[in-house]
Amino acid sequence: MKISWNWLSEMVDLSALSGPDALAALLTRRGLEVEEILPQAQGFERVVTVKILERNKHPEADRLSLCKVSLGSGEPLEIVCGAQNMKAGDIVALAQIGARLPNGLKIEKSKIRGVVSNGMLCSETELGLKKESEGILILPETTPLGEPLAKILGLDDTILAFKLTANRGDCLSHFGMAREVAAALGVKAKRPDAAALPQATVSPISIHLDAGEAGPQFYGCLIDGVKVGPSPAWLVKKLEKMGSRSINNLVDATNLVMWELGQPVHAYDADLIEGKEIRVRTAKEGEELPLLDGTSIKLAGNELVIADAKRAVGLAGVMGGGNSEVRDSTRRVFLECAEFDPILVRRASSRHQKRTEASHRFERGVDPAGLTHAIARLSSLVLELAGGKVAGVASARLPSRAQLASREIRVAPDYFPRFLGMKCAPEQALKILTDLSCEVVKGAEDWNVRVPSWRKDLSLPQDLAEEIARTLGYDQIEETIPVLSSAPRSSWEDSSAGYVLMNQAKDALVAAGLSETINFSFTSRAELKAFDLASSAVLVNPLSEELEALVPSLLPGLVKNAIDQWSHHFGSESLAIRLFELRPTFSASGPIQAQGEMETGVKEAWKLSFVVSGPRYAQALQVEQAEVDFYDIKAIAESLFQALGARGVRLLPMSESRKGPHPLFHPGQSVEILAGNEVAGAFGLFHPGKARALKTRAPLWIGEIDWSLLAKQSRSPVKQAEFKPIPSFPPMERDFALVVRSDLPVDKITQVALKAGRPLAKAAKIFDIYRGSQVAEGMTSVAVRVIFYEESRSLQESEAEAASNQILAAWKKELGAELRG
Amino acid sequence: MIEKLDVIGKQALEDLKSASSLELLEQLRVSLLGKKGALSEVLKGLGAVSADERPKIGAAANEWKRRIEETLEARKAQLETVALEAQLKSQRIDTSIPSRLSHRGTHHIITRTTRRLLQTFQRLGFDVTTGPEVETEFLNFEAVNIPKDHPARDMQDTFFMGPGVVLRTHTSSVQMRTMRSRQWPVRIVCPGAVYRSDHDATHSPMFHQVEGLWVDRGIKMSDLKGVLAFFARETFGPEVKVRLRPSYFPFVEPGAEVDVSCFQCGTKPVSTCKVCRGSGWLEILGAGMVHPRLLELAGYSGDDLTGFAFGIGIERIAMILHGVPDLRLMFSGDSRFLNQF
Repeated sequence: MKISWNWLSEMVDLSALSGPDALAALLTRRGLEVEEILPQAQGFERVVTVKILERNKHPEADRLSLCKVSLGSGEPLEIVCGAQNMKAGDIVALAQIGARLPNGLKIEKSKIRGVVSNGMLCSETELGLKKESEGILILPETTPLGEPLAKILGLDDTILAFKLTANRGDCLSHFGMAREVAAALGVKAKRPDAAALPQATVSPISIHLDAGEAGPQFYGCLIDGVKVGPSPAWLVKKLEKMGSRSINNLVDATNLVMWELGQPVHAYDADLIEGKEIRVRTAKEGEELPLLDGTSIKLAGNELVIADAKRAVGLAGVMGGGNSEVRDSTRRVFLECAEFDPILVRRASSRHQKRTEASHRFERGVDPAGLTHAIARLSSLVLELAGGKVAGVASARLPSRAQLASREIRVAPDYFPRFLGMKCAPEQALKILTDLSCEVVKGAEDWNVRVPSWRKDLSLPQDLAEEIARTLGYDQIEETIPVLSSAPRSSWEDSSAGYVLMNQAKDALVAAGLSETINFSFTSRAELKAFDLASSAVLVNPLSEELEALVPSLLPGLVKNAIDQWSHHFGSESLAIRLFELRPTFSASGPIQAQGEMETGVKEAWKLSFVVSGPRYAQALQVEQAEVDFYDIKAIAESLFQALGARGVRLLPMSESRKGPHPLFHPGQSVEILAGNEVAGAFGLFHPGKARALKTRAPLWIGEIDWSLLAKQSRSPVKQAEFKPIPSFPPMERDFALVVRSDLPVDKITQVALKAGRPLAKAAKIFDIYRGSQVAEGMTSVAVRVIFYEESRSLQESEAEAASNQILAAWKKELGAELRG
Repeated sequence: MIEKLDVIGKQALEDLKSASSLELLEQLRVSLLGKKGALSEVLKGLGAVSADERPKIGAAANEWKRRIEETLEARKAQLETVALEAQLKSQRIDTSIPSRLSHRGTHHIITRTTRRLLQTFQRLGFDVTTGPEVETEFLNFEAVNIPKDHPARDMQDTFFMGPGVVLRTHTSSVQMRTMRSRQWPVRIVCPGAVYRSDHDATHSPMFHQVEGLWVDRGIKMSDLKGVLAFFARETFGPEVKVRLRPSYFPFVEPGAEVDVSCFQCGTKPVSTCKVCRGSGWLEILGAGMVHPRLLELAGYSGDDLTGFAFGIGIERIAMILHGVPDLRLMFSGDSRFLNQF
């Protein structure tokens, strides 16, 4: 929304303000935010209109002229000029000494080839008005002399660009804004004049409100004998400032009324209205309507249209019809000023993608009491600009508009300071509300506040409180801290426990040297397909194909992060990629549709996923450095499980998976994660086939865990880990070198040892593994340490011996393991 | 005999003082003080000495023994020091060799910032609550007083998933979810991702917010201002001030945009300031007093029941706090960015 300072000054006395900056500050403080202040002329100071009295040759230079110019009064000035397009008698623009032109040129008193020049005659290029121009600017003969050029060009103005909130439709015009400024300054706003129209006469065109409350009032005025032609300069300039192009005097008049009063109005060629009637009615399905902008729309049937006896002639509140528009040949014009239902206008404008200045205003609601003045103003303007005479006035309005009931709000004056937490005496509140054109009727305790018809946003005491607060200034609101009226919610039952656990998981992965990343929740279907994935939750209106499918897994995004990083890595060392993400994934079991007010049918499953690649250490000498392998990843997973106090989490070789191999993992270098008895995810080497297809540069280790399943096995953040006694007797250790089949998972060895060595064998661990010439083909030597311990006493050698023998026997029987000879 | 002892003693002290190694010293100890050592040998002749002389000789012998032991210990300590020094010298390593450094992981600054904000609000008595990112149109819009066909919907370009289902455009959707599930008083902060179909240098189709809601008897607008001022000071520094400007959000009345004074250039803004670009103020959040329509939709009733609500953009705060110039870095997954914090 643009407001011109000069235009606004016609309606309200701005002399109390130092200038546009002060106005902008005042209105922004009141909630009408000024986004930009655009001075129309910069660098035009000291540029004035002059008449060339004489044009002579420069005595020393053939290509230069010496002009004598007059400012209308005072001594003529001598100016040296290089242009050729002027002659004596022309009125031109003189940049006087001290001027600084828009292109940066500073005008100083100077000698040019020995002759003093008292300024410079300017071209449009030098004035920044055009990119290119030939010669200097020659102004019309009637131009007054000695006047600032900016004023002559109508550029002595400043435009304020507002970012208005949706509740202040009443400020979408100069008069609307003038009312607001007047309230702020405690003065009165002056509405643009209009000669009163004759009372409704027998109009040759009748009006019918067929759509009821959707189109509750309509004023028409028929003017005969108009002459369509160009608008006068003042009107063209006003419209240009609003960023709108002059069309002809009739159309320009309608636009001017809208910018002045905020009421969109329209002009029809009355001869194109068939059947001498105008109807506000609901569209017929399939009805065609050619529009002013040259397009044609097919109506859906729920729009509001303006129609004559045969067809729609306008999309109500949005745009006039192309079949009834004012043309150069128009002699009779029918003027429309009406009120339409905001919701219907909004639906029609969005359905047909016609967002217009008119629809913008109707959506926000026009002043229902402002129509009679708007039609009078429009008629006056048309008569003034295009001649002709009023041939008939017609109006129709429903009872709801014939007797406009003003909204009343009951409020006690002490409500304002109490609710706002700021000082506000009743008389202050009274003045503020009255200045805003509210009528306050004082009762015994309460006030009855009648709000003006244009303030559709005021209906509650809270709304009035905002008016009070923004007038006094939000800076007058105190700063207080509310008192807790009850204890905070118990963290034992708080739904935030899950949030705390997630943070614990993040902390554990950060401690393991992984960095958290956040990817968008949506990606392209193609990208998912590359991972053998598909989304069951796709956006209806995505920004692009790249961002349309809600992700069923975080892994595609993480792998893409890795690939992106390789693409900008040029060093000779391998690149450390260590990322994790803990975010929701999305799925739906059928078409997505709301079920009641609270259910969407879309399942959000949080996943904890990671990618790791590159060197084991962030920094180390080459002899000690290595690339990460499966066991580094396993360590990350185990440290996570430990940090969460997770119990019942097991790792199963992918080859033994009940579900079969996972397409994203190397079947021989990955595991499935079992939480309780449910498959909670997997980690391991990214499948080499996929890696090749995606052109990954190095082995990539990936993992994804279903967060809710892991969380279920984890210790609740409100529960504490329980103390276990510290051993007070020395344990006994026995080391064994076993030879087993190479395909035996070594954890079977420790599992068997712990079972067979019960109750004394408390721990068993693999501490070395050897495959090679010292053992038979297909066999592996495994070094195992078993730790025996009894809580209440020291063990005898013989007891450890006996337990060891049991273990050896079990190893042999269950695993075929022999002691290495 | 005393003369004999003196000769042995003097010689012994000299030998001990000049002993060049710990081994030699040990040999000397044995040859002097051992059972068959020089002193013992002399004292074997004690039987032939008169009873008068014996105590004197005994005393002399003890004196020599003491002096020898003393000298021996002193020399031993001396030699041990030398040996240790030699050992230390030979064991010197090059401490300038690069360390064996483990990888350092980092939290995303969105997480860091969210945690920091939540801690601040938790100190004031707020509880953390979350809600789904895919939300019903009702909870995202109608329940926060933005009916269908309301122009305020233009403020938030919405992603639709299907009839009546949207990606939430703000964490305000958690307000009604929570209010419908518990009685007042309500004091919650709700962190999470939100979505709007807007993508350019300063808008991301996914971003994060923390929603705050406090509903109780007699809550006033100054409470909102006080809570936000505390939050601003905790987040940006003790000198920071807040400024409320009137604005409009359908779920609050009165509504406000909230600015904090620039913590970099403060009360005297400079045009070159990278934080506020010379305005002296940073726009950080929207807030207001809970619209009575929301309390009605929640089924709440009670005399003088009021509340305040606010919505903070996490990315904006994180960018200000860490001096991040470009929003897009947040979602780049680029370690060169992530590992900095």
